Amino acid sequence: MSNTKSLLTIKDLHASVEEKQIIKGLSLDVKPGEVHAIMGPNGAGKSTLGYVLSGRDGYHVESGSVALDGDDLLAMETEERARAGLFLAFQYPVEIPGVSNLEFLKAAVDAQRQARGEDPVTSADFLKEAKAACKQVNLPVAFLKRGVNEGFSGGEKKRNELMQMLLLKPKLCILDETDSGLDIDALQVVAEGVNSQRSDDRSFIVVTHYQRLLDYIKPDFVHVLSGGKIVKSGDASLALELEAQGYAWLQNEPAEDELEG
Amino acid sequence: MSEWLESAIARAQGINDWLAPKRADALDLLANSQWPTRKTEAWRYTPLRPVERSQAKVLTDEVNLEPIAIADLSAIELVFVNGKFDPSQLAKTLPDGVSIALGRDLDSAKQTDALNAFSTIKPQRHLFGLVNDALAQDVVIVTVAEGVEVAEPIRISSLLSQSAESHTRVQVSLGAGARLTVIEDVQAQGESLNTAFVEYNVAAKAYLEHYRFALQTGTNVAIGGSHFNLHDHAKMHSSIVAFGSDLSRLDTDIIHAGEYADAKLNAMYLLDNKELFDLHATVEHAMANGTTQENVRGIVADRARAVFNGRIHIHRDAQKTSAELNNRNLLMSDKAEINTKPELEIYADDVKCAHGATVAEIDKQALYYLETRGISRSKAQVMLNFGFINELIDLMPNAALAEWVRPIIRERFAQMDVE
Repeated sequence: MSNTKSLLTIKDLHASVEEKQIIKGLSLDVKPGEVHAIMGPNGAGKSTLGYVLSGRDGYHVESGSVALDGDDLLAMETEERARAGLFLAFQYPVEIPGVSNLEFLKAAVDAQRQARGEDPVTSADFLKEAKAACKQVNLPVAFLKRGVNEGFSGGEKKRNELMQMLLLKPKLCILDETDSGLDIDALQVVAEGVNSQRSDDRSFIVVTHYQRLLDYIKPDFVHVLSGGKIVKSGDASLALELEAQGYAWLQNEPAEDELEG
Repeated sequence: MSEWLESAIARAQGINDWLAPKRADALDLLANSQWPTRKTEAWRYTPLRPVERSQAKVLTDEVNLEPIAIADLSAIELVFVNGKFDPSQLAKTLPDGVSIALGRDLDSAKQTDALNAFSTIKPQRHLFGLVNDALAQDVVIVTVAEGVEVAEPIRISSLLSQSAESHTRVQVSLGAGARLTVIEDVQAQGESLNTAFVEYNVAAKAYLEHYRFALQTGTNVAIGGSHFNLHDHAKMHSSIVAFGSDLSRLDTDIIHAGEYADAKLNAMYLLDNKELFDLHATVEHAMANGTTQENVRGIVADRARAVFNGRIHIHRDAQKTSAELNNRNLLMSDKAEINTKPELEIYADDVKCAHGATVAEIDKQALYYLETRGISRSKAQVMLNFGFINELIDLMPNAALAEWVRPIIRERFAQMDVE
């Protein structure tokens, strides 16, 4: 495993939002096929990491580097990152009335195909594929006709994110608190969907506050994010330890730069 | 007063027909009217220079123009060519209970009814409505008998050749419980000037589905109005789609003249280049228990200008009225301009009313979301803009019309500059 080339390499990343430092020296190495869980208390910078990696406006990288498959991720526009194989499943997916889910999904798939020099998928072929994806994530096919996430329940939105993942087949999926607001049944559907996509050439970063999700999606590594950096790493047992002890113990082991403030 | 109006009045004075008393009323009012300037509230943001400078003339030569075909739409065609009604394009047999005829050809009893009804729904404050009263040569009267449900829509097309001036007028009357769809459309070839007014009387429990397409662009000058009178339990659903031109102005008036009337109005405008579109929409709740829902959305690009004035007037006796007015605009360039003014005037104390107007740039969160899926920024902007309008297209009850206008709007977006 250690000889395998890394899929994602984050080195000493510092990033800020509205001039406030949130990520303060984060490093992480993800190899193909690995599942990394990032846990941490509220405000640790968990969601920020996903936004920074996806290139959201207003999130400034101050120093450090991020390589995806050896390419400089930070030099790319948001859409180029997606085409390079990065996928962010949102904690709060955006509702876009007037743009049908089907049209949106096809535009996304076609954008990736175009980046690979392929022709757009035909509408008929795509509809077949999209219907199959609907079935897999347990969403009624009628949801393809509706506006993107428009009036979807929390669980339906998360399943819609998962459907996009199935259709886009990314190399690296970042699941941002995908478990938030889900009951146990919905959680299982999402987890099964994720597990079905695990493969040797696809990696996951599962960002979560609770251990619960990790009962269903077994991580290879668990990292604790606090004060903008990873303060502890371990295997799946670390998640159980966190579940038992909470995050309070982290207060006693503050990251260095937190001492400055 | 302008030379243009003086000449219009002079021409109208030469007309002597069945409408003479109404034309005389209009001319009296016009004689006492001021030519609108920037100080005239109703025309504050819409200069009339394109009318003053217009070289359009009433053309007398026979011209053959046909309305563009709409796939999957079989309509009763009511066609004006350069202001003249073309009876050859009207179906020889109309559905039972439907009558379409020139006012001057009606028998005397019906003509008297038509005369009495003329210009009673369209308010007198519309200057060009008065011009139309005085100058509309061929006035067509449409009646649907009580309880008759007309399956085929009636399409009123006003077709203009290059530099033509035309004034068209249709009076539509639905009997109690009748159902009808009417489509109003203007197709003009440039440098034209037209006024196109329609009055609708919707009797008790009748339903009117209405569409108005103002898609003429460029150097055309178009001024028109759709005016609706709703009786007890009457319903209307109107969809307006407009592009802009040198001057494109539309006045709508919805009058709740009976109780429990229900009005829905969805208007959308997409303006580019130096186009102007001005919508003045007035709703009069004169009686109790009426409902109005008005959704107006616009996208304004380049140096185009949109004007929207939405007035809802709830009279003292119009208790239990429920009225909503919403105007949302997207600006696509920093030279584009929107002048929006929602006005609520409420004199009844037990009503539910809401109004709002927003001018915004595109939703940044939605843009980001699309980009994270690999969709380019420019494509994402077009999708979001289209989605903003598409929501209202989705609400069109007539699927054939929605499917006809959707690609036209898509094409419009493809041409609009995305910055």
